[in-house]
Amino acid sequence: MTQLMSNTSYLQNLLATGPNSSTPGPDWLQVRREEARQQWLRAGLPAITDEQWRFTDLSLLAETSFSTRHCAAARAAEGRAAGLDGAELVLMNGKFNAQTSRLPPAPVRVTFLAQASGAELATFEKLLGAQARPAHHGLIALNSANFSDVVLVEVPGGVAVERPLNLIVHSVGTEPFATYPRILLKVGDNSSVTVVINFTGPNNLTYLTNSVLESYVGTGSRVELVKIQREGTAAIHIGSDYAHLDKDVRFQSLSLNQGGLLVRNNVTVTLAGPGSEATLNGLSMTAGRQHVDNHTMLDHARDHCESHELYKSLLAGRSSGTFTGKILVRPGSQKTDAKQTSKAVLLSSQACMNSQPQLEIYADDVKCTHGSTNGPLDEEQLFYLRARGLAYNQARAMLTVAFAGDVLARVWQPALRQTLEDMVVTELHRLEREEF
Amino acid sequence: MSILEIKDLRAGIAGREILRGVNLTIAPGEVHAIMGPNGSGKSTLAQVLAGRDTYTVTGGTVRLNGRDLLDLSPEERACEGLFLAFQYPVEIPGVSTSYFLKAALNAVRKYHGEPELDAMDFLKLMKQKMKLLDMDAGFLSRAVNEGFSGGEKKRNEILQMAVLDPKLAVLDETDSGLDIDALRIVAGGVNSLRGADRGILVVTHYQRLLNYIVPDYVHVLRDGQIIKSGDKNLALELEARGYGWLEEPAGVH
Repeated sequence: MTQLMSNTSYLQNLLATGPNSSTPGPDWLQVRREEARQQWLRAGLPAITDEQWRFTDLSLLAETSFSTRHCAAARAAEGRAAGLDGAELVLMNGKFNAQTSRLPPAPVRVTFLAQASGAELATFEKLLGAQARPAHHGLIALNSANFSDVVLVEVPGGVAVERPLNLIVHSVGTEPFATYPRILLKVGDNSSVTVVINFTGPNNLTYLTNSVLESYVGTGSRVELVKIQREGTAAIHIGSDYAHLDKDVRFQSLSLNQGGLLVRNNVTVTLAGPGSEATLNGLSMTAGRQHVDNHTMLDHARDHCESHELYKSLLAGRSSGTFTGKILVRPGSQKTDAKQTSKAVLLSSQACMNSQPQLEIYADDVKCTHGSTNGPLDEEQLFYLRARGLAYNQARAMLTVAFAGDVLARVWQPALRQTLEDMVVTELHRLEREEF
Repeated sequence: MSILEIKDLRAGIAGREILRGVNLTIAPGEVHAIMGPNGSGKSTLAQVLAGRDTYTVTGGTVRLNGRDLLDLSPEERACEGLFLAFQYPVEIPGVSTSYFLKAALNAVRKYHGEPELDAMDFLKLMKQKMKLLDMDAGFLSRAVNEGFSGGEKKRNEILQMAVLDPKLAVLDETDSGLDIDALRIVAGGVNSLRGADRGILVVTHYQRLLNYIVPDYVHVLRDGQIIKSGDKNLALELEARGYGWLEEPAGVH
């Protein structure tokens, strides 16, 4: 592993999977890209010796030789993900695909860094990388050096966006490739919106989606962020989502994981104003040799904030999962109320799950609780259902759907909740077909 | 033909024999009570009949309506008409009572080649059965047994019995944890399900329940064997004198 980390040829190789120098952009961008490049060459991939990455081995990434040729044309139809209506914004290999997109109506605004100028460009300069800093870890540096464009979704103040905004982040290629989606979400004061981000890509092909999302939520707003990770069966997905919450914000995220082979979701939320509430939910359904690592960081930077975390995993086959929940209560963040729960059901004897809370508390008048339970389906419950006539598989299916149920029940939008429930039931049937 | 025929049933857990040759026959229409001190094997018998695989059957036969029961899975036993009212009904968060009961009822119907009930017919049936147990409709939308009081859990068991309409109902300590009002309601529900085609086996530690569900036969289980059988008066005698006066059967120990 150490040897791989110091192998500059693969570092260079991954850098070369990014844009070429024919798309220079403004000076500040070039400076930042160069800094990110240098940071990447210094840091490289996080190793399992790094405490924050100890359960997720990125060797597969280091061992893959990614193509440096860029996939020009992708079939338009591939950009659509079924079952989700509303406005769709399609990013194909990190670039906006106008052909397959239906942009959301005003007052929601969608702009792209490559075309931005004037005040718009100043917004990009201000927000881009203000949370996701290359120094956080090598993959942020790599994304910052390599993104081909940045999309900014803006919801102005005082607007309630009724229907979910759908983003489809689609990867296309025929040989191992890497993409670097980069998204900014800016919500003004006293607005509400639900954003659904779908990650999809080809099956049976090793590719890397290294995505970074930075959200900025204004005072008094309600924002729900749903990430549906349905990458291809051999995909490596590294998602780093950041959210910065002002005063009295209600923020909720859901990370729904069913695709990918090696998956890491970093969720970092900063409660930067008093009276805000962040709810982070997760549901992972894995089989085969899939690995999903959910890594959350709640930064209670101000007083009177609440955070709730509920992460659930259903693991079949030889799949594995990790949940790390870091809660940082900064000095002066009194009356913090943080609750963290992680639960996993192991559907096979070869599946495994690691959960670790990391609490750092520097204030004295706070409430922080955490709990985690990992184990097989409850034998007593199974027997009870069977004793009423339900077949073994039917009883198992009923219990797995029920296990996933309370995570989905938290979704605000009823229609979206129904869509996700149907999606999950279908997915759980896939798990049931796995050997136990 | 008898509904239940147990012959020389032996079963245990982790190499320890708990049932050591149980014999019991229940004819249609009969209510039998099994009484016995703690650790006599009452609950083991109930669980073994329902097919709980934590217990190993080491000998004997059990027939339900002439069919070998021990070869069947728990769900097949249920579909064949065996119902166990659990001593400790299990909480199942995330599964509503109505969804669960509809799935159970339709599983049994499917087993017998009958068409599944649709939502309307199911609801009609539920309303009728819930009246029997003095339960309100809000109950159906609650998760199975989750946060139920002791009385609600036991009523839910009898409701399930009423809906699934079994040939043989085994009630395991159905009176435990019930106050007198809940006991009356539960016993009333059970009594309404007494019938010429059904057998009922009541497993209980105390005679109290048998004031409300009056048995035709009472058996005393001790150290995994039935050591005495009689009519309802035997229960009264046990209540008055305890279990100590009963002689241990010859040849055991």
